[in-house]
Amino acid sequence: MWKDIWFLVIRTLRATFRKRSTMILYFGLPIAGILASLLLYGSQGATELRVGVVNGDDGQTIAADTVQFVQGLDHVKVVNVTQQELQDQLAASDLDSGLIIESGYSESVRSGSPDHIAIQSVKGAQVTAYMKSMLYGYIDNVAAMGRISAGNDAKFQQLYDRYRSADFKVTSESVNDTSTTKEMSYQSIGFLLMFMMTSAVSLSELILKNRENRTYFRVLSSPINARTYVMANILMNLIVMLAQIVIVLFFMRVVFRIDPGMPVAQMFGILLLFSLVSVSISLVIVAFSKSTAMAGALSNLIVTPTCLLSGCFFPISIMPDAIRRVSDFLPQNWVLQSIEKLQSGEGFAGVWFNLSILFAFAVVFFLIATYKFGRNNDTRNFV
Amino acid sequence: MNVLDIRGLTKKFGEFVAVDNMSLTVREGEIFGFLGANGAGKSTTINMVSSLLRPSSGEIRILDRDITKQSRFAKLNLGIVPQDLAIYEDMTAYENVSFFAGLYGLRGTQLKERTEEALEFVGLSDKAKSLPKNFSGGMKRRLNIACAIAHKPKLIIMDEPTVGIDPQSRNYILTSVRNLNESGCTIIYTSHYMEEVEEICSRIAIVDHGKIIAEGTKEQLKSTITDVKDIRIEVKSAQPAAAGVLKAIPGVRTVLQEENVIRIHSDAAVDNLNRILKQLMDDGMEIRSVEEKEPNLETVFLTLTGRNLRD
Ligand SMILES: Nc1ncnc2c1ncn2[C@@H]1O[C@H](COP(=O)(O)OP(=O)(O)O)[C@@H](O)[C@H]1O
Ligand SMILES: [Mg+2]
Repeated sequence: MWKDIWFLVIRTLRATFRKRSTMILYFGLPIAGILASLLLYGSQGATELRVGVVNGDDGQTIAADTVQFVQGLDHVKVVNVTQQELQDQLAASDLDSGLIIESGYSESVRSGSPDHIAIQSVKGAQVTAYMKSMLYGYIDNVAAMGRISAGNDAKFQQLYDRYRSADFKVTSESVNDTSTTKEMSYQSIGFLLMFMMTSAVSLSELILKNRENRTYFRVLSSPINARTYVMANILMNLIVMLAQIVIVLFFMRVVFRIDPGMPVAQMFGILLLFSLVSVSISLVIVAFSKSTAMAGALSNLIVTPTCLLSGCFFPISIMPDAIRRVSDFLPQNWVLQSIEKLQSGEGFAGVWFNLSILFAFAVVFFLIATYKFGRNNDTRNFV
Repeated sequence: MNVLDIRGLTKKFGEFVAVDNMSLTVREGEIFGFLGANGAGKSTTINMVSSLLRPSSGEIRILDRDITKQSRFAKLNLGIVPQDLAIYEDMTAYENVSFFAGLYGLRGTQLKERTEEALEFVGLSDKAKSLPKNFSGGMKRRLNIACAIAHKPKLIIMDEPTVGIDPQSRNYILTSVRNLNESGCTIIYTSHYMEEVEEICSRIAIVDHGKIIAEGTKEQLKSTITDVKDIRIEVKSAQPAAAGVLKAIPGVRTVLQEENVIRIHSDAAVDNLNRILKQLMDDGMEIRSVEEKEPNLETVFLTLTGRNLRD
């Protein structure tokens, strides 16, 4: 039987992927999805964080350098303001955040215990978190030099000069923006989920198409039985999705060098599990359709809207509560949630529950499809 | 040896009985004609023989083995040319044949040889690399046949293989059927064209309403109707009412009117040609030709069912 299945799989794949347009549809689009994510988050990252600086520690090198450091950060624009202007412009949202350096700041850093510096924002932690973490890293470094030199001015100057000339750029570059690449990879996966689902449906649809062009019945009059035939279809479907996953992860990691912020192997595992869900959903669609046209319509009704609601196209956090509750019933959301959790540093143990849910989705849909196939009149008539 | 044995075969679709307690035997080496009008139940019977439909009751044996108990054996020895084309439009002719032959377990060089052989046989070798969507109807039919014969089955069933094709392809197919038969295949040839069946079949069964109403060689079938004469009258501008009036004439059994041709089956023993012609002339029809035909399968069918095969 496995020989028969394999024969069917190879021959069908060869016929399906003969056309270049099919190749593009199945593998080009997911890659385009990565590109789209790059653009989406690349341009969003470019929107600048406007920082108002009140420098009350005039004439001090460290204070001036600190301001310059902030200015040198990616996507940050610095304007010098007075205390009053800062309050007004923050309130008016002309500024995203404020950096207040008070007199005595440079001295405190130099002595090893930084003080007299504050960050203000009206938008809350999220906006300033990036700048804050970068800035505090910088201040900590300088303060450490102050502690090491223990009041020795010459020694501090030596350390500080070296730091300014060498490490400065390295720091601001290497930390760059993992949060952005996380979002990019998250988004790429979101698109991939949709492309996996659409390709699964169109490959399962071959069952209907071959029923319409009669080859299905011709095959069944050979020693191949219906079960072998459907299993070959499922296997072929899984192989195509596996290829999609591998190609997308390869392009994401190796070609575009996007750091997903989690092990790629874990991503691969989750996506593989989703490919099972995807096949089972496509089988349900096919089981409830009388023709390829109907399957196409059903798939349009199901795939895109559920992808939308489960956050495949944009983060679910921006959607209202009611919709978020709906997304609990959508398998794509469980994939994306798992990825989010793993990206935020939770171990694989933290997503076991999500993975079980995904597996349960696959099982339930398979059962529904099997039940419906069994009840379909034409398959009952046909042995 | 009997290649196919059908006993008491019945298929119901709900209340409707498509095949009605049919029994039939096809012997090795025959070209067996399965003749019947559209809807007679031919395809339904064939679908049951090819295990696509489950019989409501009855038994089917291929090469003396029950097809439900030894389904793999039955299927391996059977080649089906379906009535509706069953070919993949997105595979080349070669790939189509090779695919279907592969379903029967052929692989490697054997698969390659058999594929080429089958394409050669139906005259499509030079089109091996072309996609069927560019084929004419006749070429598609021939490809459909190649897909059924590459695995060299003992029994080949052709379900209306010549429907809607040009005369050249039709002749090609009829010749191939004979060649296949000479190479040792038993063939069941289904059609509603009696000329074809008369031309190539050694034995014929006539099916109507799911039942076999006559069976035998064409000579046997024709000899059953020696008491009937088949008159064909061509007139100028036939009146629609002609048929009804003619039926009233003694001896006339059936009257069929196709445009300006009136076909009459009448008792051979009754001399009524003069009365018939007079009637037509009285009705204002001008007679162009009168012909008394040899009985053929169509006459047989008409006599048995009272209907024309093509209706
Ligand atoms: N699946 C089906 N369901 C209901 N009726 C059917 C089905 N298949 C065939 N029939 C009916 O059975 C009769 C015989 O059909 P068929 O075997 O295709 O005739 P033939 O091949 O001799 O033209 C027809 O009246 C047809 O409408
Ligand atoms: Mg038919």
